[in-house]
Amino acid sequence: MIETKNLTKTFHTAGIETRVLRGIDFRAREGEFVAIMGRSGAGKSTFLYQISLLDDPTGGEITISGRDTGTMRPEEKIAFRLNQFGYVFQDYALLAELTALENVVLPLLMQNRGKKGAYEQALTALTSVGLGDHLHNLPSQLSGGEQQRVSIARAVAHNPKVLFADEPTANLDRESSARVMSIFKDLHAKGQTIIMITHEDEYARFAQRIIHIDEGKIVSVKKEEHAAIALPAHF
Amino acid sequence: MLSPLNIRIGFFLAVRQIRRASLWTTGLIIFIMVLTFLNLVVVSGILVGLIEGSISAWHKEYTSDIILSSLPDKSYIENSPNLLALVKSLPETAAVSARYSEGGVLEANYKSRKATDKPNIASGQILGINPTDENAVTGLAASVTEGSYLLPGDYDQVLIGQFLLKQYVPVDDPNLAALDNVAVGTKIRLKVGEVVREVVVKGIIQSKVDALSRNVFMVDSQLRSLIGRSDGNVDQIAILLQPGADPVAVRAALERSGADKNARVQTYADAQPQFLKDIINTFNMLGTGFSSIGLIVASITIFIVIFINAYTRRKFIGILKGIGITGHAIEISYVFQSIFYAALGSLIGLGLVYLLLVPLFLAHPINFPFSDGILVAPVGQTLFRVLLLIVTTVIAGFLPAWMVVRRNTLDSILGRN
Repeated sequence: MIETKNLTKTFHTAGIETRVLRGIDFRAREGEFVAIMGRSGAGKSTFLYQISLLDDPTGGEITISGRDTGTMRPEEKIAFRLNQFGYVFQDYALLAELTALENVVLPLLMQNRGKKGAYEQALTALTSVGLGDHLHNLPSQLSGGEQQRVSIARAVAHNPKVLFADEPTANLDRESSARVMSIFKDLHAKGQTIIMITHEDEYARFAQRIIHIDEGKIVSVKKEEHAAIALPAHF
Repeated sequence: MLSPLNIRIGFFLAVRQIRRASLWTTGLIIFIMVLTFLNLVVVSGILVGLIEGSISAWHKEYTSDIILSSLPDKSYIENSPNLLALVKSLPETAAVSARYSEGGVLEANYKSRKATDKPNIASGQILGINPTDENAVTGLAASVTEGSYLLPGDYDQVLIGQFLLKQYVPVDDPNLAALDNVAVGTKIRLKVGEVVREVVVKGIIQSKVDALSRNVFMVDSQLRSLIGRSDGNVDQIAILLQPGADPVAVRAALERSGADKNARVQTYADAQPQFLKDIINTFNMLGTGFSSIGLIVASITIFIVIFINAYTRRKFIGILKGIGITGHAIEISYVFQSIFYAALGSLIGLGLVYLLLVPLFLAHPINFPFSDGILVAPVGQTLFRVLLLIVTTVIAGFLPAWMVVRRNTLDSILGRN
């Protein structure tokens, strides 16, 4: 479904060249849950931004569902992100002036789904993450865990092909993290493709595959045989 | 860019950003828009209003709606009785005042003057009027601020314009002589041609119309006897029309009836002194200049406000782009916000202008030496300026949004510069 070949990314800041990705070959199948791990600065977030079309790589190829993204125009990438992808960011990335419901409904309205249908879908998504009674709260009126659940509802409300999550539990307490991971587990069980960055081993174990990146390269790939089945006791 | 979907999303975002923005910020932006609107409308409106006040006074107090005067090569309006009959027969005519006009010299203090003293004289135009008719047409009695107005039977009594009296002349001007020690009840000498008559000052006229404040009025029969005219021909005919009557149409009707053979037929607008017309054009240019500067300042202000707003919210914009909202929809949201600020500012400005300032200036005109300045704000011109303000604001709002939207999406989301 998503495939990269010799993916590279180099930043130039004040005349200094920093090679963050040094040729990554990667493949994720439809319905797969992949966790990406690595120490800070290893290049895992940069890798996620490239494959989720939020940034343009310096070199290499990214193919999504057989389509070479290097030939896409910026408008196509925006449409692709809108229709095919969902994003969950570490800091939730909610729009402060929009209520929970409005945050979730906005991408659906942009998809031109019709006002009634869009609101119903947003309502369903928020209810599914346990926020049916916080629809009209602004992000500032929600806890961190609740904000992250709104972010997940926004990411999955339109049934994206791939859900990208960049350290979704990094800012959350243990209980909220558990709840977020439980939602991810349910989504995966329903066939959702998920690519998630995490620092936590116990959350990485939810994935079917754990990829370790270091110095801009994949250094190891580990398969978790029972990822979708076994949960730690406290979940 | 302007697809219905982008407009809908832009509106969705704009409404929520405005609704949940800081009240202080919103209030400040709208306040700036109100000031800009007032700068656009009021500055030029007052400049033009100063002259409009003068024109209005000239119209109401001297020419009235239509004025007939002698042809340039004639000393009076020939065939005046028939012309007066024609004018009075028009259905649009509400009142008519026939005037005699002759140059004359006034002399004061002649009894106490020694043979070696310089005579205290002043010259002016002497107007002979029927006091009742004149008051019906121009309301002249209201301009008499000291003493009293003329009565039809007054003999050897005059009303004298303030600027013929030294105590009312603000600056001594050797070219404009004025009488000293003359007040209501003072006897003065009036010399018209070779005829000299002693008259009493019955009242003093105060007006910002030179034709009143620099002239002398007396009963028409008295002036006729001074100039020896007995044929019924007059020098001017001022006509007050019925409310709603069109002076241009009446002028045309008079011309069709042949009135222009014996008299110069002018509406009050035609009869305005040329210098007033020139000043109006100059003040209009000045007003447009000031307004343009105001508009540029306003557009820069809005640009800065929207730029700061968009720049500090580049993470917000990055997230929007990240989740698939098009740049055009985001730009349109800022355009809608700009329109909102400009429209609300203009609306408040319109209210201030038409509900407060225009009535206020009408009730308390600006006291200028040559006119009572009012605020002139024709609705058509004002609405054009509203449109101009909105268009300028839209451009000033769009540009910074466009600049921020075109930044790299990820840099915006991550807050990287």
